[in-house]
Amino acid sequence: MEHFGFLWAAYSIIFTVIFLYVVFIWRRQSRIESTISALEAKMAELDAASNRKRQN
Amino acid sequence: MGAFIALIRKDLRLELRAGESVLTLVVLSLLILVVMVFALNAGVGPNNAETAAGALWVALIFAGTMGATRTLLAERENGCIRALMLSPTDPATLFFAKLTAGFLFMMTAEIAAVVLLVLFFNLDFDIRVARLAPPLMLGALGFAALATLLAGISGRVRTGDLLLPLLAVPMFVPALIAGVKASAIALTGSPLSSAAQWLKILTAFDMLFLGAGYLLFEFVMGED
Amino acid sequence: MTSRTANLLGLLVLALMLTAVFMVFYWVPTEADQGIVQRIFYFHVACAWVAFAAFGLVAICGILFLWLGQQIFDHLGYASAEIGMVFCTLVLVTGSLWAKPIWGTWWTWDSRLTTTLILWLLYGGYLMLRTMGDDTPQVARFGAVVGIVAAADVPVIIVSVRLWRTIHPAVLVTKQGGHGLQDPRMVVALLVSLAAFTVLFLWILMLRVALLRAGSRLHKLAGEIALANAALEDA
Repeated sequence: MEHFGFLWAAYSIIFTVIFLYVVFIWRRQSRIESTISALEAKMAELDAASNRKRQN
Repeated sequence: MGAFIALIRKDLRLELRAGESVLTLVVLSLLILVVMVFALNAGVGPNNAETAAGALWVALIFAGTMGATRTLLAERENGCIRALMLSPTDPATLFFAKLTAGFLFMMTAEIAAVVLLVLFFNLDFDIRVARLAPPLMLGALGFAALATLLAGISGRVRTGDLLLPLLAVPMFVPALIAGVKASAIALTGSPLSSAAQWLKILTAFDMLFLGAGYLLFEFVMGED
Repeated sequence: MTSRTANLLGLLVLALMLTAVFMVFYWVPTEADQGIVQRIFYFHVACAWVAFAAFGLVAICGILFLWLGQQIFDHLGYASAEIGMVFCTLVLVTGSLWAKPIWGTWWTWDSRLTTTLILWLLYGGYLMLRTMGDDTPQVARFGAVVGIVAAADVPVIIVSVRLWRTIHPAVLVTKQGGHGLQDPRMVVALLVSLAAFTVLFLWILMLRVALLRAGSRLHKLAGEIALANAALEDA
């Protein structure tokens, strides 16, 4: 079982890096999506406000 | 055609302004060659063709990159790029005009570097040095094409002067490898037929970047 | 490109990966000369495949973006470049981890590793351009140009580096003596690894592009809100 360390290191690095990268994308995605929902709500508010203004 | 000549003259004037540019170039090549001799602990004489060829091309890449960066900065400062974009000249003509100016600039640098090389590495001004011409000219053409295309990009990006060598050097690698090999072959006294495959690579490289510049320069010169 | 497709694809990735790992660690026989370290080869080659293919995709998307102008091509290109960079780094790292026990040195200037190093530098240049440049269509076009030119350069790089290495053979002979895979099980394991990584790449690409599109949407929304606010105040 010589050089097992190198084999282990190589595969651990591969999986760790890929895992971290995917997690990073996932987290940014959730954060952006919540910001988008907040903005969409704001947009709806503004639409309602401008409609009210036009009716007056 | 008139536009082409005018553009070349403008770029050349930019680069040869008061002759300071040429002088800086010669001094720069000299410095780099000196550094290379020390860094590589180079022996001198005809048996050190490989080292001499290597030192020569290092000097050229540095000179070429610096030259491209300075023209780029000059044009950016003067708002020249916008003016060029607004002119009715077609992008291909613009590209070839800049390319020609860049090529002439590189050739000047190369001549200076070769003279210094002969002096520093105890070579002779003979047929071996003359055989350096094809790889050097092909290399200059390729680098000029590459630099013209990339300078158009780097000039419009923040810290673009750092970006230019970062993009240019890896792309230039095949020409660098082939150029150094062909130059070493020339300096050892072999006929250029031995360097045929390297010259073919250089030619392919040049055709690639001339073609790419011709086709893509309009996207580099587009509006913001 | 719904999230359900993404999840299904993710499951497929998991299944293929598990199969590949099982094959690499249990099913495939140990190579005679190199011992168990040779098993790095399977995922190392798979990463290299992704790194090079992703680069090709960057160029194709570049061409499509310049020609058709639709933002999706720019997103695909950028995402592909980022992912490709990750896998390219993995190629170099696993390559070193394989080289050290086999040849006693961390790095060897053999033609494949050298070419991969240059590819890594090209990726780096592209990503620097995109991150240092502003988020404008003009910079996207620059990215496309760089991607196209760099990819077109790659064949010339491969040829020149290979020629460079054969004329001056390295102290160490070429890696793995070509694909001299002695046992058919090794070939199968390699193919499964390649398939697993291909699907992995496509899955991550989907996720990354979704993130880019969300970013664009955010940008647009913010702009619309600013306009709506201004309109309200004027009225």
